[in-house]
Amino acid sequence: MAQDLEWEPRLLGLLCKWCSYAGADLAGTSRKKYPANIRIIKVPCSGRIDPLFILKALHLGFDGVLVSGCHPGDCHYQTGNYRARRRIALTKRFLEGMGIDRRRLQASWVSASEGVKFADVVSQVVKELKEIGPNKLFVGERNSDATEAQAKG
Amino acid sequence: MQQRLRRKARSLLEQGQVDWIIGFEPGSLRFTTTPLITKDKDDTDRLVVGSFIVNNLSNFLIELSGRVAIVAKGCDSRSIVSLIQDNKVNREDIVILGVPCPGIIDLSKVEGLVARDRDEIDDIARQDGVVSVRVGGQQREFPAGQVLFDNCLGCELPTPKEYDILLGEATSPIGEPTASQETLARLKDMPPDERWRFWQQEFGRCIRCYACRNVCPACFCKRCFVEESEPQWLLPMPRWQDNLIFQAIRNIHVAGRCTDCGECERACPVNIPLRSLTRDMYDIVADLFQFKSGMDIAAAPLLTAYEVEEAEDLIR
Amino acid sequence: MAGSKKIKKQDLAQLLSQWSQEFSLFVPSRTSGLAEMTEYDGQDISFLGWYRNTIIPPKASFLPHMEEMFSFHRNKQGHQLELPPLEEQKRLIFAIRPCDARALTILDNVFEDTYPDPYYRGRRRRAILVGLGCTNPYDSCFCTSVGSGPSETTGVDIMLTDIGDELVTRGTTKAGEELIAGSGLVKATKADQKRAEQSQEAARQKVTRKVDTRDMASRLQAVFDDRDYWQQIAAKCLSCGICTLLCPTCYCFDINDEGSPEKGTRCRSLDSCAFPVYTKMPMENPRDEKWRRVRNRLCHKYEFYPMLFDTIACTGCGRCIRLCPVNWDITQILEGVPELSQAEGPK
Repeated sequence: MAQDLEWEPRLLGLLCKWCSYAGADLAGTSRKKYPANIRIIKVPCSGRIDPLFILKALHLGFDGVLVSGCHPGDCHYQTGNYRARRRIALTKRFLEGMGIDRRRLQASWVSASEGVKFADVVSQVVKELKEIGPNKLFVGERNSDATEAQAKG
Repeated sequence: MQQRLRRKARSLLEQGQVDWIIGFEPGSLRFTTTPLITKDKDDTDRLVVGSFIVNNLSNFLIELSGRVAIVAKGCDSRSIVSLIQDNKVNREDIVILGVPCPGIIDLSKVEGLVARDRDEIDDIARQDGVVSVRVGGQQREFPAGQVLFDNCLGCELPTPKEYDILLGEATSPIGEPTASQETLARLKDMPPDERWRFWQQEFGRCIRCYACRNVCPACFCKRCFVEESEPQWLLPMPRWQDNLIFQAIRNIHVAGRCTDCGECERACPVNIPLRSLTRDMYDIVADLFQFKSGMDIAAAPLLTAYEVEEAEDLIR
Repeated sequence: MAGSKKIKKQDLAQLLSQWSQEFSLFVPSRTSGLAEMTEYDGQDISFLGWYRNTIIPPKASFLPHMEEMFSFHRNKQGHQLELPPLEEQKRLIFAIRPCDARALTILDNVFEDTYPDPYYRGRRRRAILVGLGCTNPYDSCFCTSVGSGPSETTGVDIMLTDIGDELVTRGTTKAGEELIAGSGLVKATKADQKRAEQSQEAARQKVTRKVDTRDMASRLQAVFDDRDYWQQIAAKCLSCGICTLLCPTCYCFDINDEGSPEKGTRCRSLDSCAFPVYTKMPMENPRDEKWRRVRNRLCHKYEFYPMLFDTIACTGCGRCIRLCPVNWDITQILEGVPELSQAEGPK
């Protein structure tokens, strides 16, 4: 039963196809264990990520979002991750300014060969999310369906 | 300055150097002005400057085709530069009529100080740093710093840097940046939970009129993300959750192009302190990337530029 | 004015408390500078000191900005719909201005017409509107030009006239008269009634903004196809929703489903014809250009609606003028609509 289990944070991973997603794949094929709290969405490049996705994820009830891309200089599209870096940096600070814990949005550079790093990153992020606690940001009266679902757990 | 402006605007149209003039003319309510957008040289006789020319006219540049002469205060000129950097406007197609600005009077502040509505006030006059308000025969004086818009108090560029014709002598900034950000400072002192509850409450009033977005020169998308239906990110229903997300994302989308002109907060009919968000983003951009929008016409837009190494402390 | 009663302002709180036993009572209130009608919770009546008009119009009590139409879920038998309670509530809106009360009669034509709207009806049917005549109209008010006035009684059940320390009270409908009769008010003297008449006349004189709206429908019709004219009119409009969402006579709404095909709700919310996507359809958008939307709004209020219901769909409250970020002023625009030429004449 859902009530018997301790709360587990739900983490959304937005991984770039060329590096981070491949790195996550490698973690899997290497049988490197990492927490199952993460749900992964593949994007062509970390530069594709609109901060809208991050806020929408929080609205839907995810406790945290991990954006991961290629190392600077290694972006498959040359400069996508530079854009992502700037966007994520100011999004993190701005959300914090509004009152959202800055640890809910995390970013990492994981290359296709860094299966171990990916597993480590996910473990660390999940650990931090457990410290912050569940995301109750958008719960309130007059919920939209999304937040109602979240409230029910 | 006003006569000079009218003569110049008329001659620009007469000589065919521009197709349009955008400026200000007296509004239909006392102590207001309204945008004047015209091709008719005789309309230029109605152009005004002064302490009530509040709109950011650069908002209208994109929808006009042809060459445009535009009246620009310091903050407006920054928005124009930002639009040029974004390739939404060509520098050759505009003639910037620069107006050095000593700050614009915020009528709601005046109303609060004299406990009267705008239409009950007889006169508002300004002499340098003093604003005199006459109500029912009685005159009261206030230092300008008490009645100017918040963003004017912290203005960083009262005299346009980028212009074709400067219509007056350069003015210096009011120089009260602390006063310009009182609400934001108060929010920063709050613990995060309280801050979030503050915004939750404020956005409960939002009616999704989108005036904040439409009055902003940096918001020029033909189709805003809120109008997308595949997928539908936000429903049009004005729930505080959706209203808050709308404003948060709007701010992130205009990051690096917002000049803190304050129009969004002024336009909001339900008095949401939007500048506390825009100013925060403005400061974050300045802090992280040492970038201030619209100050340097040669600079690359914020999100097209990058340093090889920056902000790495936020990344694992 | 015969049969008027009166009440001292200092006794008003007691009367409101009494009425709030029987009705959901709404009075003007102000939070963060936003004036609107909110439910009376026994608070004081200090609004009498600042109240000229609300920003959010009282139509919000009858056509709320957002409401659930029904919820649905799917079971073995198919989709089941659950309606929200639609029983008729008893509401009393206190101190509604004549322009806003008249505006509700304009909404009635739409929502009580061929297909009565059960949601609107439920709130409207048994609502009592207690109007408060204006003593201090704004310079943006132009009610007298559109068939209304600061003391007009169209749409109200009870009319209050401010004569200083007291409010002269008169029932203008049967429901209003019954409510007054049961409220224990004293009779107004002839002198009180005279003062009331003087107050009303003074208020009328204070409405200085005037537009000649005779033949406006024909004038608009004559200039309808002049694209250059409308482009010039529309130039500074921002296409935001302030004028429409805060207009007491605007009623357009959007309907959206939320949830999933298995379980969700259908909601409606106020929409605005000023938005670019208002008429957007998969194949085309007939009002993609701003000037078409601006033309539509003006013509709806002053030409199309009057053609259907014989009333201008504007009550001169002036909110659109006060709140427009670019000071687009409907009275200025109307003044500028060309007069009919001799050849044209009224149609």
